[in-house]
Amino acid sequence: MTNSVPEFEDADCILITGSNTTSSHPLIASRIMKAKEKGAKIIVVDPRKMHIASLADIYVAQNLGSDVAWINGLMRIILQEGWENASFIKERTEGFEELKKAVAEYTPEKVEEITGIPKETLKEIAKIYATSEKSSIVYCMGITQHATGTDNVKSLANLAMLTGQIGRPSTGVNPLRGQNNVQGSTDLAAIPNVYPGYQPVTDDAIREKFEKAWGVPLSPDPGLTVVEMINAVEEGKLKGLFVLGENPLVSDPDSNHVEKALDAIDFLVVQDIFMTETARKADVVLPGASFAEKDGTYTGTDRRLQKIRKAVEPPDEAKADWDVLCRVGKAVGGKGFEFASPEEVFREIAEVMPIYHGITYDRIEKEIIHWPCRSEDDPGSPYLHKDGFAKGKGHFTPIGYKPPVELPDKEYPYQLTTGRLPFHYHTGTMTRVSPSLTHEVNEAFIEVHPTNAFEIGVKNSQVVRLTSRRGSVNAKVIITNDVKKGVVFMPFHFAEAAANRLTIAALDPIAKIPEYKVCAVNIEKIEESEA
Amino acid sequence: MEKFKKYIKELFESGEIEGFLGIRKNGLHPVPHLFTPEHPEELETLTIPDVRYPMTEILLTIVRKYPDKKLGIMVRGCDERALNELVKNQKILPELIKHIGIACSADLAASCRCAQPYPEEIHYGEKVAPVEDRSDIEAIDTMPQEERFDYWMSEFSKCIKCYGCRNICSMCFCDQCTLEDNDLIATGQAPPAIPIFHLIRAFHMAGRCIDCGLCEEACPAHIPLRTLYRKVRESMSGFLGYVSGTEGGEKDPLEFLGSEGYMVPSKIDEK
Amino acid sequence: MEYRTVLTTCTYCGTGCGLLLEVMDGEVVGVLPAKTHPINEGKLCIKGWNAHEFIYADGRLTKPLVRKGDTLEEASWDEALETIANKFAEIKKTNGPDSLGCFSSAKCTNEENYLLQKIFRAAIGTNNVDHCARL
Ligand code: SF4
Ligand code: SF4
Repeated sequence: MTNSVPEFEDADCILITGSNTTSSHPLIASRIMKAKEKGAKIIVVDPRKMHIASLADIYVAQNLGSDVAWINGLMRIILQEGWENASFIKERTEGFEELKKAVAEYTPEKVEEITGIPKETLKEIAKIYATSEKSSIVYCMGITQHATGTDNVKSLANLAMLTGQIGRPSTGVNPLRGQNNVQGSTDLAAIPNVYPGYQPVTDDAIREKFEKAWGVPLSPDPGLTVVEMINAVEEGKLKGLFVLGENPLVSDPDSNHVEKALDAIDFLVVQDIFMTETARKADVVLPGASFAEKDGTYTGTDRRLQKIRKAVEPPDEAKADWDVLCRVGKAVGGKGFEFASPEEVFREIAEVMPIYHGITYDRIEKEIIHWPCRSEDDPGSPYLHKDGFAKGKGHFTPIGYKPPVELPDKEYPYQLTTGRLPFHYHTGTMTRVSPSLTHEVNEAFIEVHPTNAFEIGVKNSQVVRLTSRRGSVNAKVIITNDVKKGVVFMPFHFAEAAANRLTIAALDPIAKIPEYKVCAVNIEKIEESEA
Repeated sequence: MEKFKKYIKELFESGEIEGFLGIRKNGLHPVPHLFTPEHPEELETLTIPDVRYPMTEILLTIVRKYPDKKLGIMVRGCDERALNELVKNQKILPELIKHIGIACSADLAASCRCAQPYPEEIHYGEKVAPVEDRSDIEAIDTMPQEERFDYWMSEFSKCIKCYGCRNICSMCFCDQCTLEDNDLIATGQAPPAIPIFHLIRAFHMAGRCIDCGLCEEACPAHIPLRTLYRKVRESMSGFLGYVSGTEGGEKDPLEFLGSEGYMVPSKIDEK
Repeated sequence: MEYRTVLTTCTYCGTGCGLLLEVMDGEVVGVLPAKTHPINEGKLCIKGWNAHEFIYADGRLTKPLVRKGDTLEEASWDEALETIANKFAEIKKTNGPDSLGCFSSAKCTNEENYLLQKIFRAAIGTNNVDHCARL
């Protein structure tokens, strides 16, 4: 996030897209509700009419995968009406002329055709977003989980820069991170192309720095992403895999394919707290600790460093994960794994990572620090780009609309989109053993528009079979107007009816994020006996 | 403060209490803590902040496991009202629970709009004037009926079904919670069925709610829950002359209805 | 008789609410919202309020397991670590470091993510490090 969570409260306009905020980030939704109370205009653009949509001043459903088109359309209107922030564009950005050219063809008529958003609504949204004093954009997986995810994100950045709605409190472009420490694991370089703190492995000077810090020569070649590693197993190139606290068998797209890969791999190690679907396939399983049984830090979605603290002992022979990893490091012959506590690990982190450089355990006991925090007297950065963009000038990227990879056809006439429920989390490993949460929901379902339900011939609560080119699952039908005609929604928390048996592993070329949010499916009624 | 700590220490030493439920300073954050005679040094971290935790709800958690222990508890005006109700509902034994009274600061009393910001006996702090403020109820009472209904429906529609209002409430001591009754409220929906979810809770608060306002503070949807329950509370005192939270033998009149009170009279058709 | 509360951070979503784990006699019995936390200011969602429940759920892994034929069998830490060391060394020797990789975790701490990527980058010699955050 470019801005911090409490800032939402003072925004004048909040544009929410692809985020089921009340479900996935309820306490951010809480701030948004507060903002509304204080008079902010809330705009929601989402294919599914979720709870947050019902609280919005303007809600509109776009067609699945049409985000670049409506955002370009907004920018065209803004330029036409002279609502852009000319001085911001002049002083702080570059590439404006190219952007202007690129959005010119997105006339309201054309945009309405691609996205289904009426032109009057588009204009209203453009006006409120551009002309409010402080406008903030909130987005989540609904924007990123597309083959065009990077394009979508860049388009939102274009919009914010065009209107100067960035670099001030209560503005900005704010992706909400799904899991508690996505931000932190990315910061700490659980990604193939950089060292901790976004320092490229391909940069010689940086690599030398890390070679010195770690005392070994390092590989200059960027590694593989999750989906690429799965493919590499199939090609016989990847032989051994270590999985820490993840359940890719349920969370990854096209899980049939993942299952084959995990069956085929020579050696699989899984470190987790439960016997997950993935752990069952392992050759070695290491018992880790829950968040209540260990110390450490998480980095929240707004780059805020926070501690977790050990309250009780891990069960039996299970151990805190940092401890297990130090042992693994030493066992495989690594140097520099003699840490006596997470705090010692953190000290090394702060040393090698400029954006965390000024952060210590002592400081986060006493103050809220958002990175970048480069020295001990740096208070940190609740919002970014205050005095300009990190890379000099903000660069507009002209982007054209590309349709989703898999469109509905005769055989697979419906579009499936996936998402979260307020009562469960990710693959359900933790929430589905929590009685208060399973009391609310404990089985997969699929939301279907009444017209489609009629076509298929199903009633509420009947079971249907969903089939895509990759697999099939059964689920109970919920008939609702919350989804558009032709679109069906399914939560992905339920391993026994894993939505990801259906989803497509088409990747965004840059972010390598799979297109979870759109694929084509067929739906058939199943007879009682079959169900 | 030193005097206060010394007082607790003396209660430990004399054996009058075997534990003291208070607030401890943890870095920047005041957090609830059970001080015990085994660790008198912990009293150094004892603090009395302008922040309220559901002390009586925590007390119930401890009492369920240790029903025979003599416990001291830090009580403000609101906590004392809660304890009175818990005694009447036979959830705690008054002879085992020692009230250690705190008078709230003027700031806290103002932000809580508290009609009684101090307990009967005060061991720390100075009594400040009660705040009489019905403006929230008045604002709604003056709305035309239809507008009033819309107002509440739009407030309720923000609910994310966190159950925080119930979880934080020391008057929600039932073993089985009606809010989780699948026949009354469908599970798995957020917002939950409105207005039924909120009205069920409001009914259950009649004759019980001690107007501490912790529910509203815990509500992520900023629903004016306290106003709702205050109104219910007022109706109870207006129609039935009962004010919950007062000390003594007087009992919640709705309790007298017993379970039969909720049944339809059998002769209703003949009338 | 012990009752204390431990201030920590919710383990579910990235909002990072502050919560108190209520500990009674060495067992987590409940959750309270941290009233003074700047993000959630004394409020939580249903997941946060119940963040302690899964800790004691059946099926927690309590011992290292090593595959013997078709089954995973309980093993000592030494045996489990040795198996990993031997297998990784063997694979690295015959197929090179890039034939090994890891999925790190968006649920684990910063320190743990740092350690795992350090194991693969420094001790094994590959940049095949990723996590499921995109998901
Ligand atoms: S605290 Fe508020 S949001 Fe939570 S269940 Fe109660 S009314 Fe609903
Ligand atoms: S309490 Fe809810 S909103 Fe807060 S971090 Fe946990 S899951 Fe997220």
